Amino acid sequence: MTDARLSDFPVDDLISREALADERGLGDVVRQVIFGRISTQVAFFVVVVFIVVAILAPWIAPYDPVRQSILQINKHPSWDHWLGTDQFGRDVLSRMIHGSRNSLIFGLLSPVFAAFFGTILGVSAGYFGGIVDRLISRIVDMLMAFPELLLAILIAAALGGSFWNIVVVLTVAFTPGFARVARASTLAVKQEPYIEAAVAAGVSTPLIIFRHIVPNIAAPIVVLMTLWSASSIRIEATLSFLGIGTQPPNPSWGNIIRDGLSNMFATQWPIVAGGLAITIVVLAISILGDSVRDVLDPETAR
Amino acid sequence: MSEALLDIKDLTIEFGSGSQPLRVVDNISFAVSLGETVGIVGESGSGKSMTALSVLRLVPEAARVSGQIIFEGRDLLKLPKREMPAIRGKEIGMIFQEPMSSLNPLMTIGDQIDEAIRLHEDIPAPERRKRVLALLRLVGMPDPENRLSAYPDQFSGGMRQRVMAAIAMACNPKLLIADEPTTALDVTIQAQVLAMMLDIRARFNSSILLITHDLGVVAEICERVVVMYAGRILEDADARSLFSNARHPYTQGLLRSVPTLNDTRKRLYQIPGSVPPAGTIKAGCPFRPRCSVRMERCAVEMPPLRTYDPGHRVACWATAEAAA
Amino acid sequence: MARYLFFRLLDMVPTVFLVLTMVFIAMRILPGDPALVALGPNADGGQLEAFREKMGLNEPLGLQYVTFLGNAVRFDFGHSLMSDVPIGTLIANNLPHTIYLTIASVVLGLVMGIPFGVYAATQRNKLPDSALRIYSLIGYAIPDFYLAAVLLIVFSLNLGWFPINGEGSGFWDGLHHIFLPALTLAMLKSAFLGRLTRTSLLEVLGRDYVRTARAKGARESRVIYRHALRNAMLPLSTGIGISILATLSGSVAIELVFNRPGIGRLLINAIQERDYPVIQAGVMMFAFFVILVNLAMDIVYLIADPRIRMKS
Repeated sequence: MTDARLSDFPVDDLISREALADERGLGDVVRQVIFGRISTQVAFFVVVVFIVVAILAPWIAPYDPVRQSILQINKHPSWDHWLGTDQFGRDVLSRMIHGSRNSLIFGLLSPVFAAFFGTILGVSAGYFGGIVDRLISRIVDMLMAFPELLLAILIAAALGGSFWNIVVVLTVAFTPGFARVARASTLAVKQEPYIEAAVAAGVSTPLIIFRHIVPNIAAPIVVLMTLWSASSIRIEATLSFLGIGTQPPNPSWGNIIRDGLSNMFATQWPIVAGGLAITIVVLAISILGDSVRDVLDPETAR
Repeated sequence: MSEALLDIKDLTIEFGSGSQPLRVVDNISFAVSLGETVGIVGESGSGKSMTALSVLRLVPEAARVSGQIIFEGRDLLKLPKREMPAIRGKEIGMIFQEPMSSLNPLMTIGDQIDEAIRLHEDIPAPERRKRVLALLRLVGMPDPENRLSAYPDQFSGGMRQRVMAAIAMACNPKLLIADEPTTALDVTIQAQVLAMMLDIRARFNSSILLITHDLGVVAEICERVVVMYAGRILEDADARSLFSNARHPYTQGLLRSVPTLNDTRKRLYQIPGSVPPAGTIKAGCPFRPRCSVRMERCAVEMPPLRTYDPGHRVACWATAEAAA
Repeated sequence: MARYLFFRLLDMVPTVFLVLTMVFIAMRILPGDPALVALGPNADGGQLEAFREKMGLNEPLGLQYVTFLGNAVRFDFGHSLMSDVPIGTLIANNLPHTIYLTIASVVLGLVMGIPFGVYAATQRNKLPDSALRIYSLIGYAIPDFYLAAVLLIVFSLNLGWFPINGEGSGFWDGLHHIFLPALTLAMLKSAFLGRLTRTSLLEVLGRDYVRTARAKGARESRVIYRHALRNAMLPLSTGIGISILATLSGSVAIELVFNRPGIGRLLINAIQERDYPVIQAGVMMFAFFVILVNLAMDIVYLIADPRIRMKS
């Protein structure tokens, strides 16, 4: 369910004039986002904590996340194992901590790659028009008809799950969305007098694109990137849950729940822990994403 | 003056809250008599549309309305909210400025007019259909039988405004409020819509409250004119004496800026400056900054409306001084 | 209108063609040797050769492509590598369950979401509105399989109100089995649809024709249900289409959690068993489903909006 909402992201709303004519520096924007509301501050804090945990995972995890122990099977939470152990006697907290690396890295990597490729495609389509535009738009429209998660499942089905495969899967799934936004924004910016003036003055095409167009469409792209970080984490979790994402014994929040489900008669702690972690992180990032949008583009703030 | 159908007393409309509310209509009073056509004239931002909407209590929820709006002896502002629907459309009909967006795009125009009847009168469908057709003929819709099942998007602006008029007149209201009914239309269509309104008045003997910024429109159909500026009434007179003997410098300026056929002026007159944004005038007469006869007193105190000839009220210190 | 439909159908041809081509490329080229992938690394040369011969993998790529397209158009997907059952039979056994789940969850989602959205819009910035905001935020963040697992643990495992897995037999038993899976998807849908209803309704309530309806003397309930909601249904129907599509991807995880038969579970099992003709068929089924729902959405628009109806 969840992922498809972003394919309905109101593209036109993202490119209001206010967003295009933004002259605030990056620092101002970041400050406004973070110190805007209490909910945003909490969300920011939560995201920072999760990132720190992911970075420090090897040092703060109490046990080896993949070491099995027949003596420690299905333990409930205790002082030794805060979240208990799973059916292989592995420490759930350690798996959660290490799993955060696998879960978060996709949230950060894939949207960046997708933004990069999507912007190239979208700007080319919007700026050059004609056959280039028609070809790109056609493919983008076709891919946009598929919910991202479904697209991800289908590609993962074909490729199989490994780290880089999942990155590729998520990147391909997200690129059309970025391409569509970048194209629409480029079309809007292209209408501006200063672009026409630059063209008339004989400024070279690459210079126009990189000096004038790209900086002016950055705001909607950034908004989309934050929103899709959340999606990306959720989709990775789903793929891992389905067994086509992060492969066992490597932990990720998705496959912790997968293992937990097959063992739910014995202990339910892994399911609860994994699910809460995903929900909290995705919630925090979407709240941040909403704030980014509100700050960059007050028009659509509802 | 005969008996007043609509009597507005000390009407004030404010937006925003706290210590600095935005006052878009400031303590205005005027009346519309039975069968009379009154025009409210003013530039955009004068508060004339808000005044019109407040009669039906259709102002945005954020607005605070005070004063009295007495219609047939009842104060509409004191009426419980749930009793307003029985008055809207039945006793008071309204035509809006934006014919392109004021009709429901998903309903046929026949159904939209029919709804206006059905909401207030319990009559069988064939009768209603006859009434709808009669209304469409009345507003000058050609070939009404074939238009009933058409959707608004199939009509031009002028035709939609005729449909709006048919809706407003569906229950033969005692008062018709028309908020800039011709503004969004082409000049030739404007003339047709005005002719239609004159026709409506002749047949129904309804009172009409016409909101407009166009003195030409006022001259054509109004019997009395209320001139508004920045939320206040500056002059209120019957049309004949207003056009022959305007007393407020603002009205005089407005009249001088209307082109006439035997105009020999090289350039049209233009009142210097522009309308102040609502709420920026804190004290005194709002027209003072643009006024050519302003006095010191104008900056301090808002002149009250003073009656000169019978039925001719003017709010101006300079006029008062000249008359004294 | 018929003309429009004809062109809309014609417009699907390149899309279907592109999807088929992509499936072909993904299946034949990306994972390396399909025979090796299918039979695993322990298969000997003879087995691999026999497999290639059987699947037509020794033909030139161009011919394979033509054969593939021909089979796909005739809905001939071949046999499962694991069970040797015709894939058409597998689909016939599984597809109805996915469709039931989709229908049940969409209906339930609409019933929960739209009234909530309407209520929030009429109580703007008050308690119901905030409640909807929080509900939709959490509904957006919580993964479907987690919500499914929680409902399963609470209502089936601990309370025992619902069966733990399977599809049941007969209507009432089937309903009993489908309730929790459908509720899971419906809760997420209603979070999305509720928010969407609220937004579209508020947008429409600010329109001039709503003011006209009030000026006619329509009461607030009539203004909302007869004038505003009908107009808000147009953007909403896109949302409903999207949530139907989302059920497809959602059903994969849900069918797995509740161990229900369905296209999603068929696909996931096939992926795990590297049963690639089944994967191929499952992917194509989903793709066709998506195209079909998009087409249906266009037709709904066509019927519901006289403006589009006139133009076409």
